[in-house]
Amino acid sequence: MNTSHGTLASTIEALFARRVADLTTSAEFRALEDGRATSAQYDAFIENVARAHLRSPQLLAFLYALAPPAAAGTLLENLLEELGREHESDRPHPDLLRDLLTGAGLAHRRPAIEAEADDDIRRIVVDPLLYGSLREVGLAALTEIVAFEYMLSRASGRIGRALFAHRRVPAPALAWFTHHSEVDIRHAEQGLAGLDAYVRYYGFSDDEALTIIEMALRENVFARRYFRDFVSPAVA
Amino acid sequence: MRLVAATVYALRIPFVESFRHSASDRRWSDSVVVRVRDDAGHEGYGEGTPRPYVTGETVETMVDHIAHELWPRVAACEFPEGAGLADISALVPDTRLAGAIAPHATRAAVEIAIVDCHLRRTARSLGAVLPPRRARVTYSGVITAGPIERAARHARQMRAVGLAHVKVKVGFDDDVARITAVREALGPGVSLRLDANGAWTFERAVDVLDAVAPLGIAAVEQPLPRGPVSELARLRQATTVPVMADESVVTLGDADALIAEKAVDFLNVRLSKCGGITRSLAIAARAFDAGVGVQIGSQVGETAILSAAGRHVIATLREVAFAEGSFGTLLLAEDVSVESIRFGHRGEASVLTGPGLGIRVIEERLRQRAVAVRELTAER
Ligand SMILES: [Fe+2]
Ligand SMILES: [Mg+2]
Repeated sequence: MNTSHGTLASTIEALFARRVADLTTSAEFRALEDGRATSAQYDAFIENVARAHLRSPQLLAFLYALAPPAAAGTLLENLLEELGREHESDRPHPDLLRDLLTGAGLAHRRPAIEAEADDDIRRIVVDPLLYGSLREVGLAALTEIVAFEYMLSRASGRIGRALFAHRRVPAPALAWFTHHSEVDIRHAEQGLAGLDAYVRYYGFSDDEALTIIEMALRENVFARRYFRDFVSPAVA
Repeated sequence: MRLVAATVYALRIPFVESFRHSASDRRWSDSVVVRVRDDAGHEGYGEGTPRPYVTGETVETMVDHIAHELWPRVAACEFPEGAGLADISALVPDTRLAGAIAPHATRAAVEIAIVDCHLRRTARSLGAVLPPRRARVTYSGVITAGPIERAARHARQMRAVGLAHVKVKVGFDDDVARITAVREALGPGVSLRLDANGAWTFERAVDVLDAVAPLGIAAVEQPLPRGPVSELARLRQATTVPVMADESVVTLGDADALIAEKAVDFLNVRLSKCGGITRSLAIAARAFDAGVGVQIGSQVGETAILSAAGRHVIATLREVAFAEGSFGTLLLAEDVSVESIRFGHRGEASVLTGPGLGIRVIEERLRQRAVAVRELTAER
């Protein structure tokens, strides 16, 4: 890996951008935007988005526990925002996802989706650790959180518009998407700085850090989460 | 114990990353799971991964062969309550399939399912009949094909995970550069093996092996296509790199011939390829007696079911030179058990102790991931 022509942060950002393109150029994503997806596919997509993010507060709390001093402030802000505690009028983000399900007429699916989200978290806790210490585990987890913020800052507005236009989800139920398209531009930048701070604080070499970051961002990481049946394009 | 029903699931689970294999392009796993149910309502799961280029089976022939050949015969059997593993397995017949070396994936799936069910009936672990000799097993990483840069990236990732053994798929135009790049990324401390999947000619094998032997190669798997044993024996004389048979060893007869001709240093024994647990143990025993090393291999794309059965076999054998499998969600977009089968840091995983295979299969997920489901009942 060659980082000589850029800082670690710019190398990571380029990788993020590639993964966002993997998502937005996928046949599945284009079908959502074009209105060609079936109603079952729109439903599955909405459910998968909820499942992927319902337990974000727990993940952020875990990351806060490992936060390097230089990034602790922004991680705490993110956590409080996720919990809806930043401003008086805010709602916790998991509740915005529940609003999405209800607004999309999928309230009856909520118990199953909550259970799946719980099971996803359970697996994170009980799966054997791939890495030798929490230092690496935290880097992988932080990478994923920051990568999703980065992706959402670029794609969640598009997703919200597609669901409004083609799936007729009422605008108030799309608050989770509008919120993330706005705030995550700022989050994504802070996130990249936070990743950099994490790498420095825990004494990773750039190569060592990039190896773990690349592993966390294997191909189609977003599509994998949002389209459960997603099959990677054939090897070129 | 009598079996009253079976369900056959032809699964298609996407891989986390698409990859190339010298014999095919793979973007999802093709695996067939069998669930059997006994007269008391206990269930057992087994799995086979039909590969046309290994045993000559396909998903279609496997589902068909189970429905028409194996199921009617095992459904007619009385499995004695106190029967041991060998007795149970002996009741699963050897069948023939036109065009196949042997329908071993089919047999493995049925055998493992019946063994799982039989053990669950008495709440015993497979480890109770295959006592583990170690508390944890250590798996190898496998670097699949694709651009060299990607192979090197995977090698760095495996090093970060602390793997002590890595195998790299070869059989391409750039083999020497590929192996060199992988060795460089792994560093000198990791044991490295090659797997050509039969892609080389004799001359190509000698050339590549001569070039890479100084990099420290623990073994080369299936350098030549399955064919005359004497060719493999001749190659073994022509190279300093230890030779392992994989596609060349499907049956016990294959193993005997390879051993008799002194054609190999290692045998790669895989449950699906070799026809199940007891057949695999028999081949391993033959190898030990002859002083030939054993690798317990896996099928790329196997689910937790085959990996769990493999874990018990690896744990119970006297000596296992290399172990593969238990990639779980490192490879599959989703696995099928409540427990994670995936190995952890250093490729280590604990012996399974729960009833039967030691995992709880999520039946609903099998249905979600199945492209075909076949329900079978015993006619009596
Ligand atoms: Fe959020
Ligand atoms: Mg092989």
